[in-house]
Amino acid sequence: MVKRVVTGNYAAAHGAKISRAEFVAAYPITPQTFIVEHISEFVNDGEMDCDFVRMESEHSAMSAMVSAAATGVRTFTATASQGLALMHEILFIGAAIRLPLVMPVVNRTVAAPIGIWAEYNDTMPQRDTGWMQVYVEDNQEVLDMVLQAYRIAENRDVLLPMMVNLDAFILSHTVEPVDLYGYEEADKFLPKYEPHVHLLPEDPMAIGTFTPPEYIQELRYQTDAAMEASKKVIGEVNKEFADLFGRDYGGLIEEYRTDDAEVVLVTLGTVTSTARKVVDDLREEGKAVGLVKLRFFRPYPTDELRAIADRVKAVGIYDRSIAFNNGGPSFIEAKSALYGYTIPIVNFLAGIGGRDVFYSDVKLMFETLLEAASKGEAEKDVIWMSTRGVDA
Amino acid sequence: MNMKDLPDKELFTSGHTACPGCAAPIVVRNVMKILGEKTLVYNPACCLLVFGGTYPWVAWEVPYHHVAFENTGACATGMTRALKRMDRDDCTVLGMAGDGGTADIGFQALSGAAERNEDILYLMYDNEAYMNTGIQRSGATPFGAWTTTTPAGKVIGGKEQFKKDVAQIMLAHAVPYVATANLAYPADFLRKVEKAKNMKGFRFLQVYSPCPTGWRADTDSAIKLSKMAVETGLWTQWEADHGVVKINAKPKFTPIRDYLKLQGRFAHMTDEQIDVLQEWVKKKWERDEKWLGALSE
Amino acid sequence: MFEVRFHGRGGQGAVMAAQALASAAFREDKYAVAFPFFGAERRGAPVLAFARVHDTKIYEKTQVYTPDYVVVLDDKLPQLVDVTAGLKEGGMVILNTREQPDEVELPTAVRCGAVDATGVALEVFGQPITNSAILGAFAKATGELSIEAVEQGIRDIFGPRIGEKKAEKNAEAARVAYERTEAGTCKAGKALDASKKWLPDVHDQPMGLATRKTETEAGLVGIGSFCENKTGSWRTFKPEYDADKCIMCQQCWFYCPDAAIKRNDERSLVSWDFDYCKGCGICASVCPVDAIKMERE
Repeated sequence: MVKRVVTGNYAAAHGAKISRAEFVAAYPITPQTFIVEHISEFVNDGEMDCDFVRMESEHSAMSAMVSAAATGVRTFTATASQGLALMHEILFIGAAIRLPLVMPVVNRTVAAPIGIWAEYNDTMPQRDTGWMQVYVEDNQEVLDMVLQAYRIAENRDVLLPMMVNLDAFILSHTVEPVDLYGYEEADKFLPKYEPHVHLLPEDPMAIGTFTPPEYIQELRYQTDAAMEASKKVIGEVNKEFADLFGRDYGGLIEEYRTDDAEVVLVTLGTVTSTARKVVDDLREEGKAVGLVKLRFFRPYPTDELRAIADRVKAVGIYDRSIAFNNGGPSFIEAKSALYGYTIPIVNFLAGIGGRDVFYSDVKLMFETLLEAASKGEAEKDVIWMSTRGVDA
Repeated sequence: MNMKDLPDKELFTSGHTACPGCAAPIVVRNVMKILGEKTLVYNPACCLLVFGGTYPWVAWEVPYHHVAFENTGACATGMTRALKRMDRDDCTVLGMAGDGGTADIGFQALSGAAERNEDILYLMYDNEAYMNTGIQRSGATPFGAWTTTTPAGKVIGGKEQFKKDVAQIMLAHAVPYVATANLAYPADFLRKVEKAKNMKGFRFLQVYSPCPTGWRADTDSAIKLSKMAVETGLWTQWEADHGVVKINAKPKFTPIRDYLKLQGRFAHMTDEQIDVLQEWVKKKWERDEKWLGALSE
Repeated sequence: MFEVRFHGRGGQGAVMAAQALASAAFREDKYAVAFPFFGAERRGAPVLAFARVHDTKIYEKTQVYTPDYVVVLDDKLPQLVDVTAGLKEGGMVILNTREQPDEVELPTAVRCGAVDATGVALEVFGQPITNSAILGAFAKATGELSIEAVEQGIRDIFGPRIGEKKAEKNAEAARVAYERTEAGTCKAGKALDASKKWLPDVHDQPMGLATRKTETEAGLVGIGSFCENKTGSWRTFKPEYDADKCIMCQQCWFYCPDAAIKRNDERSLVSWDFDYCKGCGICASVCPVDAIKMERE
């Protein structure tokens, strides 16, 4: 085991390296830039055996990814924010033609106004592209999930691309100790890439033909079914990873002190860490609070959330972006998943545009939930935390 | 390779749905005869995408790939790099795009791929408008031409700008091979395709590709119009092998009026407009002769 | 409500005819819609257009599958496609034909309106464009619309597209056709082979539609399968070949966009595959010795 203090960006690049990505096409964008730079160093120092193409845009990077994967190699790229927005068109295509692409996305606010700090309005709008999305909490999880992403995406029952989403600066530019295991350990977990399609003259295939309505609805069904099937695979891969590496992330979600909780807060990304500490503090005070780390946004853990809702009196949903006029995207998904439940479901919007989320913010979320639980209803569905001139 | 030596086997089959008399399938079938079965084809959104296949049918007999409209250079990059990773140096990657997908929306990806000198043969079939969406102007549409977005209106008649010279822009990328080609000169056309096939790195061919439907011309006129385009000087036949330019044909400067009158897209043009275009041909040739001539041996 | 399906070829103006019919109905205080087949068919290919007419607002948003009336613009189409497919009980087919209704053969015996729309069009404005004349036949044979409304509908739709003068000529063609239309019942002839479609379910449809060349119960699919699409049905002119004149230059073979010309084993004379020849006439135009002539089918 080699533990070193590295950034989330370094962990992502290291993940690409030990996953033996054969083809990398990328375009630099703050705060993802260091991923591209680290890969450049790995390649130029002979540490990473891959073809790294410095593309002229994110749109072209994702296009090259799709076509390289269709030709028959394991691929890697990374982006953020505007870069992801520019890729948007091609994200659909990578998923629809069922290519196991892997891409860390450093979550950054999408302009306007132009900013470079954490917000999920880059990845959340990609919900319907057919990509799996996992939100991570620390730099170790960045690395571990890049490796796991290939295993999940390349599984024959799945064959869908996956984003590994890490918060701008809070992870991307923060060093912390990470177990930087090497090729040997990774090879035990992730086998050599065996493409399920290819563009080769000895066995020609047509990939991307102009297609009438007779076939498109079936294709969408298949993609939807694959997304559903990925849930089981995510659980299996998580278990196998835990057995090999000793780190169990829980699969679709991780529950923290939910056993006898009266209220739970559902978080994504780094706010989860903040919430762990708050849960501990409130438990000290005797308050029955728990935490659900929503790891996967696609596929969505509907059954897992319902199982939790069965035993609590209120559910809070944290969002780092807003789906204007109807709360945050995670809130909307949770409400849909919890259809039929009469317990209060409250949305907390915080950290938008990269603003820090403090213990006091999360504490207030739990207090609001406890109050809603005791009353059996919430005063407000959607609460803007620490927003000047707006009552929380 | 001359015409008679071309193999019989078609790698782009009959049954495709190009309009009668379209020149693009003539280009495709003969290019594929030279490139052979070890060719991977990338095709952006364009007429060729639609007439070359409607699922579950595909005209191509070789690996065939489409992703989107504006990314031929990028997708072909992915394909050629993946082949390299798989130790396959025996295949050609052909990116075949129209003038819209090349000169306009796909230009960034094209320029990027050329700058990186990707091992790609990029073929622009130039039918001088967005034909797939129903005849809208492109950067490669000639001055004065009617299209559905440059209608022959009461105030403005046809396209107000001149044709963008994509091949010359590609020459400025200093890639191994740049050429313009024209079906009316089959020996020259086949020679250029074969030459491009046997080179490594980025190769760019711009092929004149009449569209009887969009040009409002007779379905049997493609080859006649091709010849006239060269003879009038509207289309310059040249090639640049590693930066050394050769102009392959000197125009006869026959009046463009004869060429224009065979095409409904020019029917509305006034004498003044025709004079403007005729003058442009003269200036273009002077510039070609000077610029391209300076790069010849 | 009545529903109409128009059969034509890409470029013959079936959509304009459907729109003019809708406008005519609107002129008679009806609610009417008209729309093209939802697809991307090319010039010359058999195409469909549809119209619905009702007393009140129409809420149907699908294509028309069980028409009350079928209007056929092209006299050759009934031999290629079953124009009676889905026709409602007691429905009627309006045909462009020189035959009398009772001489016409369709797959089933149905009510039939007949007019030589091509003849009328040639007589009135000198071009074989039948999309206006056939509407006159519709008015007469069905009695659903007055000829005055049809003429007005033609002015409404054709005017902005081709100018008022030409639109008036088209209205006149409709009037002439109206007067010459005969109605009756046609004969039941040979059934046409129903085209088979490969419709795999979600378990069998290739993932992401990445498709190899595959033989299915509905024929070939995937790579190199477009030969299943017989484009010979698009042809209105046919090449006539004089082998004695042929000098075996093979230019016709080289320039055929549809790969419909075959060189024989001795590499001498050529032959045509009329399953695919679209009749563009390029072969005739490039033949240096006039060994090929285009004749109307």
